Amino acid sequence: MSDRDDKLSEEMLNALVDGDFPPEEQAEMWARLRADDELTDRACEIRTLKDLVSIAHQDVPAPPEFAQVKRRGAAGSLAVAAAVLLFVVGAILGWQLREVPVGAGDRFVVLDPSGRGQAPLQQEHSDETRIVFHITSPDDVRAEELLDEIEGMLVQFQKEGRALRIEVVAHNEGLNLLRSHLSKHKRHIADLAARFPNLTFVACQNTINRIQVEQGVEVTLIPEAIRTESGVAHVVKRQAEGWAYIQG
Amino acid sequence: MKKYVAFFVAAAFLLGSPLLAVAGEYYGKQKVVYHVNYDDPKQQAAAMRNIQNHINAVGAENLDLRVVMHGAGVSLLKRANDDPDFQSKVINLKAQHVGFKVCNNTLVGKKIDYESDLFDVSKADIVPSGVAELAKLQAEGFVYIKP
Repeated sequence: MSDRDDKLSEEMLNALVDGDFPPEEQAEMWARLRADDELTDRACEIRTLKDLVSIAHQDVPAPPEFAQVKRRGAAGSLAVAAAVLLFVVGAILGWQLREVPVGAGDRFVVLDPSGRGQAPLQQEHSDETRIVFHITSPDDVRAEELLDEIEGMLVQFQKEGRALRIEVVAHNEGLNLLRSHLSKHKRHIADLAARFPNLTFVACQNTINRIQVEQGVEVTLIPEAIRTESGVAHVVKRQAEGWAYIQG
Repeated sequence: MKKYVAFFVAAAFLLGSPLLAVAGEYYGKQKVVYHVNYDDPKQQAAAMRNIQNHINAVGAENLDLRVVMHGAGVSLLKRANDDPDFQSKVINLKAQHVGFKVCNNTLVGKKIDYESDLFDVSKADIVPSGVAELAKLQAEGFVYIKP
């Protein structure tokens, strides 16, 4: 690709993201984009940048809004409330954008395509015990204790013929448990995962992205681990689905 | 500026007024399980403080409160044998109907004799598995708290 082409497509991408093209050209551009992963990534980057810039400017109008309160009374108060709300929404959006994967090669994997570890329908398995463990500490002794307890439970339920489903969600410093270079429990996990299909290990993708950005290292996971976009959102979802929650 | 201040005073009043209601009425009945699986005495003491504050806010008569101890957390009742501060905390909480539940797997695994090694534990306080107990209580509507 020559410099000129490169520059042209950069401008075109910017214009496309801004919505500057007439509809028919825009449709054609989007089609081209879909066919080209690299172009898609760059369009995403431009989009992210634009959103971040617009969010950065959202809190600037706040001071004049405060000044108008004197003159406008109740309407001014409403405007203040709206500005505060806008700022909060902006901050949340910004926070989420921060988590956009940086390494394009390490794509988010759809949680559990085989259905392993997915919450079954309530009515089908009403007697099934379902527990999500949330691991946030790097403590190896506690991790070992936890794996022993989980194993004990799996064995016990299997012996008694009772349905059990366990997920271990590793998040923040707890991710060490599932990192192939750092985990001290690889063998134990591999053994458990091979013996019990009702046990799933889940890694938080947000944590992985953050470590990769902050420490500049490639995070590799043990083969038993699957990924979820957000560990916190995942344990909240499980609790909403009726799973018991236990912090490791 | 006056109106601006008035707006916030009104907002604070509206938001704060439920807190002025009687604590028991405000929180209603609660079923709560506290999870202790750590050995750190500071953390264990803090957990018991949390529980006391919880009881103060909601009222002992409105609470079904259990503490489930397993793994390293069982040391809480070991300390209550020797440490007068721990002991009085446990006695006080028990007087307010807090149930202290001990994991049998831990007792067997760590060779702990609950009658001689732990403070004031009877057979009724032993549960087969701490982890399974936490799951069972949550299925029965208990809210899980790990202090």
